[in-house]
Amino acid sequence: MMLHRVTLSNRNGATYSVNGRRPLLEQLRGQGVDLPYGCEYGGCITCAAKLVAGNIDQRRQIALNNRQIANGYVILCVARATSDITLEIGVESHDNLYRNPFLDPLKPHELKADIATPEEL
Amino acid sequence: MKDCCGPGYASPAEAINAPREKLLYTIAIYTGTGIQKPDYLATVDVDPESPTYSEVIHRLDMPGIGDELHHMGWNACSSCHGDSSMSRKFLILPGVRSNNLHIVDTATDPRAPRLHNVIDGAEIKAKADLSGPHTVHCLGSEIIISFLGNAKGEAPGGYLQLDKDFNIVGRWENSMGNIKFGYDFWYQPRHNIMVSSEWAAPNTFMPGFDLEEVGHLKYGRELHFWDFEKKEPVESFYLGEDGLLPLEVKFHHDPDSTHGFCGAALSTNVIHWWKDHDGKWQWEKIIDVENELHPEWPIPLPGVMSALLVSMDDKYLYVNNWLHGDMRQYDITDPHNPKLTGQVFMGGLLGRAPTVNGVEVTGGPQMFQLSLDGRRLYVTTSLFSTWDNQFYPEIREKGGVMVQIDCDPENGGMTISPDFIVDFGKEPNGPSRCHEARYPGGDCTSDIWL
Repeated sequence: MMLHRVTLSNRNGATYSVNGRRPLLEQLRGQGVDLPYGCEYGGCITCAAKLVAGNIDQRRQIALNNRQIANGYVILCVARATSDITLEIGVESHDNLYRNPFLDPLKPHELKADIATPEEL
Repeated sequence: MKDCCGPGYASPAEAINAPREKLLYTIAIYTGTGIQKPDYLATVDVDPESPTYSEVIHRLDMPGIGDELHHMGWNACSSCHGDSSMSRKFLILPGVRSNNLHIVDTATDPRAPRLHNVIDGAEIKAKADLSGPHTVHCLGSEIIISFLGNAKGEAPGGYLQLDKDFNIVGRWENSMGNIKFGYDFWYQPRHNIMVSSEWAAPNTFMPGFDLEEVGHLKYGRELHFWDFEKKEPVESFYLGEDGLLPLEVKFHHDPDSTHGFCGAALSTNVIHWWKDHDGKWQWEKIIDVENELHPEWPIPLPGVMSALLVSMDDKYLYVNNWLHGDMRQYDITDPHNPKLTGQVFMGGLLGRAPTVNGVEVTGGPQMFQLSLDGRRLYVTTSLFSTWDNQFYPEIREKGGVMVQIDCDPENGGMTISPDFIVDFGKEPNGPSRCHEARYPGGDCTSDIWL
């Protein structure tokens, strides 16, 4: 089976080996990484982490809007690695995850995928 | 209380004369805070004669992390006062994110509740196709819990029925009709009516509040009236812009009354409903809190009226403005014409009361529970982990607080008690956030009379 290396940039660069079939949350917790999580089906954002390098498949997530995706966030409970990746984990990675909607509105293309409209160029 | 009787009180009038509360339970969360510890049920000492008054005296950890405890409810209330085989012994604590239902025994040692049982969230998904539990009510020996989504977190969800031994019976409702969303519910059995409200699908509200999604109709704006015996909705009121995010619903405690109230959180309005002389349900807006301008923000700030409570004597309505930072008391003797009789600030985004009793308040008044005699209102400051993180990001370091507001049920009026404050920022495992509160002897948001 194809294995990928996961590097945790905010855990002193610790590395773990994961496969591309199972979600990252399950595989990293199984190797002793202490990670936040909630719903475990991709809907609640509690387990969000920031992808610093590499590629993942998170087609099953339904929690992130397009701005959060553009900022590199991934939903670990459903995301799978498709290459070697580097992640920043935990709430330390959430600096751009939350915003006050009265202070900083989303543009139409930054909404969640089901209601977003294409960016006007 | 007579020995022959079951839990609670024969009437609201009897409840008002019950002994003063000495203990209070509130849930406290670590979900979403960055602290990798379970959420817990805190016991707070509210007996002024006690040496540990105004302190957390016990903490019951849940078995795992990530539940997001939120609201809770009793296994039994005054609705089975006539049944001596029942007792108010168990508190049911749903985890909004995990879908787990925690059954907690508060009777064996009221100061130190213990975990009795956990109904696994996966079992509820498998047997009833529900997720996102919210409001818990009992009626007789049955327990009904509103869930805001199906197993995939999509609206409208439905209602889970448990028997008195906490076995899953299945779905309570016979039909959800055309209801788009679920949230809170309350019923008035003498009129065979239940009213339910609308927040959003779990997949919409759990990750946080995208204001833009309101315009895309991903948040609710309707109230639903149910035939309670037939367990199906019979009439819905579209509240429009006056009723964006209609959250908490409460009937009068008087079981003969048809008057009830809903706080529309984003519109920051109170909606009043009643049955008219022709037997038709009517609604009107009776309170409208204006948005306020924040000096540095482009969009005017709504109050966000996320909770609402009716005093046991049905004379006062209490509402919050989570973002403005004020708690309000209205005299609703005439429910069509409420009169503002009290207002205090604690926290909020407008900077009107940054500290209370020497403690910096992060967040604003959010959940509250009133003593049965109507004199003490316990108020907490956290709404929901992801929403807290958007509006009050400093709450991660500061945690939540619990404040006591002294209320005058004779003349109206509210003042913050100088003797009481519980700072959840100082909890042993780090800053946590307190939310809903309940008393062992029943409270103003749990008991329904048949």
